[in-house]
Amino acid sequence: MKKKLINFKHISKSYGDNLILDDFNLYVRENEFITLLGPSGCGKTTTLRMLGGFETPDTGRILFDGEDITNKPANERKLNTVFQKYSLFPNMTIAENIAFGLKIKKKSQSYINDKIKYALKLVNLDGYENRSVDSLSGGQQQRIAIARAIVNEPEVLLLDEPLGALDLKLRQNMQYELMRLKEELGITFLYVTHDQEEALTMSDTVVVMNQGYIQQIGTPEDIYNEPENAFVADFIGHSNIMDGIMIEDRLVEILGVKVPCVDEGFGTNKPVDVVIRPEDVELNTDMKGFMEGVITSIIFKGVHYEYDVMANGYEWLVHSTQYFEVGTKVGINVIPFNIQIMHKPESSDEKAVEIDE
Amino acid sequence: MNNLKKQLLAGPYLIWIIGFIILPMITVVLYAFTGDDGHFTLEYMKEVTLHAHMAAIGLSLQLGILTTIICLIIAYPLAMILKSFNFKHQTFVVFIFMLPMWMNFLLRIMAWKMLLAKNGIFNTFLASIGLEPLHIINTPAAVVIGMVYDYLPFMLLPIYNSMVRIKKDYIEAAQDLGAKSITVFFKIILPLTMSGIVSGIVMVFVPALTSFAVSDILGGGKILLIGNVIEQDFMQGNQWSIGSALSVVLMIFVLISMILSQIFDKDEGSVATW
Amino acid sequence: MVKRGFERLYLALIFVFLYLPITVLIVLSFNDSKTKVSWGGFTLKWYLRCFHNETIMNAFWTTLQLTIASALIATIIGTLAAIGISSMKRRNKAIFLGATNIPLLNADIVTGLSMMLLFVKFINLGFVTVLIAHITFNIPYVILNVLPKLKTANKYTYEAALDLGASKPFAFYKVTWPEIKSGVFSGFIMAVTMSLDDFSITYFTKGAGMNTISTMLYTELRKGIKPELYALSTILFLTVFILLLAMNIRNEKRSSHGKKPVKNFIACLLVVFCSVTLLGGCAPKKNSTSSKTLTVLNAGKYIDESVITDFEKKTKIKIKYEEYSSPEEMYTKYKSGSIKYDLINTSDYMIEKLIKEGEVQKLDFSNIPHINNIDEEILKLSHSFDPKNEYTVPYFYGTVGILYNKKMVSKEEVSSWKVLWDPKYKNEIIQQNSVRDAFIPALVLNHSSLNTTKKSELKKALKLLKKQYPLTYAYMVDETSDEMISENAAMAVVYSGEAATAMDSNENLSYSLPKEGSNAWVDSWFVPKTCQHKKEAEKFIDYLCTDKVAKKNFDYVWYSSPCKSVQKNLTDDFKKNPALTFNKKTLDKCELFHALSDEDQAYYNKLWQELKSRL
Repeated sequence: MKKKLINFKHISKSYGDNLILDDFNLYVRENEFITLLGPSGCGKTTTLRMLGGFETPDTGRILFDGEDITNKPANERKLNTVFQKYSLFPNMTIAENIAFGLKIKKKSQSYINDKIKYALKLVNLDGYENRSVDSLSGGQQQRIAIARAIVNEPEVLLLDEPLGALDLKLRQNMQYELMRLKEELGITFLYVTHDQEEALTMSDTVVVMNQGYIQQIGTPEDIYNEPENAFVADFIGHSNIMDGIMIEDRLVEILGVKVPCVDEGFGTNKPVDVVIRPEDVELNTDMKGFMEGVITSIIFKGVHYEYDVMANGYEWLVHSTQYFEVGTKVGINVIPFNIQIMHKPESSDEKAVEIDE
Repeated sequence: MNNLKKQLLAGPYLIWIIGFIILPMITVVLYAFTGDDGHFTLEYMKEVTLHAHMAAIGLSLQLGILTTIICLIIAYPLAMILKSFNFKHQTFVVFIFMLPMWMNFLLRIMAWKMLLAKNGIFNTFLASIGLEPLHIINTPAAVVIGMVYDYLPFMLLPIYNSMVRIKKDYIEAAQDLGAKSITVFFKIILPLTMSGIVSGIVMVFVPALTSFAVSDILGGGKILLIGNVIEQDFMQGNQWSIGSALSVVLMIFVLISMILSQIFDKDEGSVATW
Repeated sequence: MVKRGFERLYLALIFVFLYLPITVLIVLSFNDSKTKVSWGGFTLKWYLRCFHNETIMNAFWTTLQLTIASALIATIIGTLAAIGISSMKRRNKAIFLGATNIPLLNADIVTGLSMMLLFVKFINLGFVTVLIAHITFNIPYVILNVLPKLKTANKYTYEAALDLGASKPFAFYKVTWPEIKSGVFSGFIMAVTMSLDDFSITYFTKGAGMNTISTMLYTELRKGIKPELYALSTILFLTVFILLLAMNIRNEKRSSHGKKPVKNFIACLLVVFCSVTLLGGCAPKKNSTSSKTLTVLNAGKYIDESVITDFEKKTKIKIKYEEYSSPEEMYTKYKSGSIKYDLINTSDYMIEKLIKEGEVQKLDFSNIPHINNIDEEILKLSHSFDPKNEYTVPYFYGTVGILYNKKMVSKEEVSSWKVLWDPKYKNEIIQQNSVRDAFIPALVLNHSSLNTTKKSELKKALKLLKKQYPLTYAYMVDETSDEMISENAAMAVVYSGEAATAMDSNENLSYSLPKEGSNAWVDSWFVPKTCQHKKEAEKFIDYLCTDKVAKKNFDYVWYSSPCKSVQKNLTDDFKKNPALTFNKKTLDKCELFHALSDEDQAYYNKLWQELKSRL
């Protein structure tokens, strides 16, 4: 296992009465692509800014390679940040922007020139040295911002929603570029985003955050397939989340129907949350499956159709490549492996049982 | 078509510009270059080169530049401090600095005369703590104090406006790349506030160069600026042609300042921001 | 933490710098004392009095009308222009914006005098010309406030409104207007501020016959500002302060609470403010249209103003009263022809010049029976400029001498002009701030005539004056007495009448007519060629010569009166006053000024500018 490069220990931070982080603990391993994922206000950007040196935690320490850097000024830290937007200096050319950090480090001019060339090539913008910032598109500006950061050979690159301002196509391209960069540079990436697709595509590790707390840490596959709670499940894409009762191991009751599943160890007759991804639901006109429903709406999405299906008083969200007309009666089936069972949050589950019974 | 109609709305203003900005300036030039006989003459322009006139122009330039520099030195750190206080509403800052303008300009200068007079408030205060009185009134120093007082907001507000427009991201990005505060200042903040500085300089230098009331009140008749000479030529000496010739010289100075400000100030109307 | 402390200190210092003078003025408005620098107890009387002073109130209404009218018109023209400009192509836009910058960046003095030069060719200077000038420099502020709003305004919403069937004005009102409203409003406020604070441009374009607060202050500065003006300015300042504060609070609250009430309140205030202004402006004008109007031009602070109102009441003749600060300024005002004066009072040499130029009418003395109240000695003195006493009637007379502070200078020292060159009195000497008066001591000491035009003699005198320059505290005209009363200087070259006034306020002061001789002067009334109501003008002259009026004026002006009735009734105290009654022998050594030719006058001016520019 690689060594722990960055360690957040018991970090708390609040602005006025607004608690942003509460006893936050996290470590980042060397050469890892780690993503902080969560809705705005979840504390992910604050975490990044504390690591960058732009905020100081109220309590707790930040260790970098074993050294306490909690109060170290930003300009002395061995890491660089790629900001959301506006971060290129408008009073300088592209080359001057990239050279900024190197000049401060008093590197020789030839070294600087080589680095500029290398960095521009790396971000596929060769020959842009003397362009002005204004003349670049948003995506190009963001790539220059990355180039400007990496020429300093930081041990960690912090990226604060760097693709937020770009359009979909550009964002996807940039995702690949970032992954390629990471491979080539072999350094640690700490990435902050609220876009789950971005997080799942690029990361080695995803940290899902909400309201100052970590909800789940895991590989993209873990997060997607095994969300630990309803928040994570909901945040990671659109899912069917239903109240259910775990009758016994490997059997759960959903919407009044007993359905086999693969989970064990929840006890008997326990209220749980059941998560089923829309692409895991199989529809058929042969009325096969554990439930029957009626198609109430259909939207063509390019690669698939998106259906709303009314069954047993619940509106299912279903992705399917097959075509059904609105009003068609269909059978609904999900293979046991694709049924996720999750614990209810502690406080509300007793009540749920009472209502059910 | 629709657009053309919209443009016509500027029509009254166009007439106004021609009638009350362009024509008057042409009149001044005509006065400066037309002799009593109605012919073209350079006689009055020659008068400008008289020693006394050149001395007045020289002193005006000197005091104007000094005033501008002092305003800049006071206003720049002030703008930085004001920015760092992060007022929720920037209008509050404008408010604080505009407010004195609602006390009449001449009265404000008059108040300085009372403050600086030989037996005035400052010297009385100095005497009461056992210090030597200062002789400031009726010297160029008094005139500069008065002008700095009057024109400081003209310097502060454009600089402050360009300062608050600097995104925090630029400064953080520079720090992130290893820049210390001093590098951040010279490489980022200063260049990005240049347009504010330039419009501040123009807004202070031109009135300071051409003021006549301040030197009249605080100079005790001992300080003769170019504005005073022109005022005397028009209001007392009945020498309109020489006064016009001197005005033409002033217009040239103003023109130079305007061109300079146009070169530096790329975004239109940062003058307006205050 | 230390840095924060330093920053706070710096802010505090700037704040003191900005508001100290304003505090001084506000304190003075409550000061129950005649002189400026001493505290005489708290009073509100200036506040009451300022509303009863007609001159001040007139200037106040004029200022308000001017400000509101110019700001309103500028806002309309400017907003339309901004909409027009915003839809222009790049090149035209640049031209318009360039032109907009001109009045903004041009020197006020050039803007003012250029408009004056144009206006005098077509119309008389007055309210209209000042209004045009103010609108001119106000428009750019409106344009530059509205343009940025138009830039950020979404132009498609306007088109969307049209698409949905709205008429153009309705679409503008419903869609565009709300987006630019705040810009228009702040443009208006800025225009008001600029207009209210302007002095230079008003000064050049106003001509005679009207005053704003600013221009009135400028004339007042020379003779000591009336405390009523501090009171008025304080009211104005505090009103704006409260208004702007209310607006700021509204902005603060906008985010949390409903905004309507405060906003409406301010809108109401503004409407009330504007309508009161326009109404108030109309009221006094109505009674001014009756009967004949005499336009009188006199030196500053040279008449008891109740004399004018009494005369108006008695004769139903309306008087438009104008002041000037030096005979040269009077000459310029008269010659510019922008106002047709009916009656002028000025100094001997200036009258001589005007007589030579044929600008003066002979008086019909059957309309001035009280001429027999005038001292024959003074009439004789007047022969210097009016040899047959046919053009003028003396008003006041006197000499030029030294006003000195007995605590600082001895009587012996000031018996000679030489004291003005004593290095002991560096920064203690106030010289005259008019060319010929300032030359008196030097010419007398050089044994030259006061009317010399020999360049060698004048240059010699200039040399002496240059030596004196570093010793002077200031060059002043009417402000001298205030400075002497406040004991800011030990001695001053003054007119005897001024000395008498100053001595009345500070008993340490006295007057000396130096033994070497000096200048004597007679200020007289004359009827210029431009007069349209000669009979009424003569009636006014006669009125001034009557016993009671002459006494009233003497008590107010405190100069030596040529009226026999006044001289006779002087008490012994006054008779011994060296500034009011003069030794016949020294008076004989005194010389009156004669008018100079333009060429000689220009030469004097040249020397004067040379002295002032310290070459």
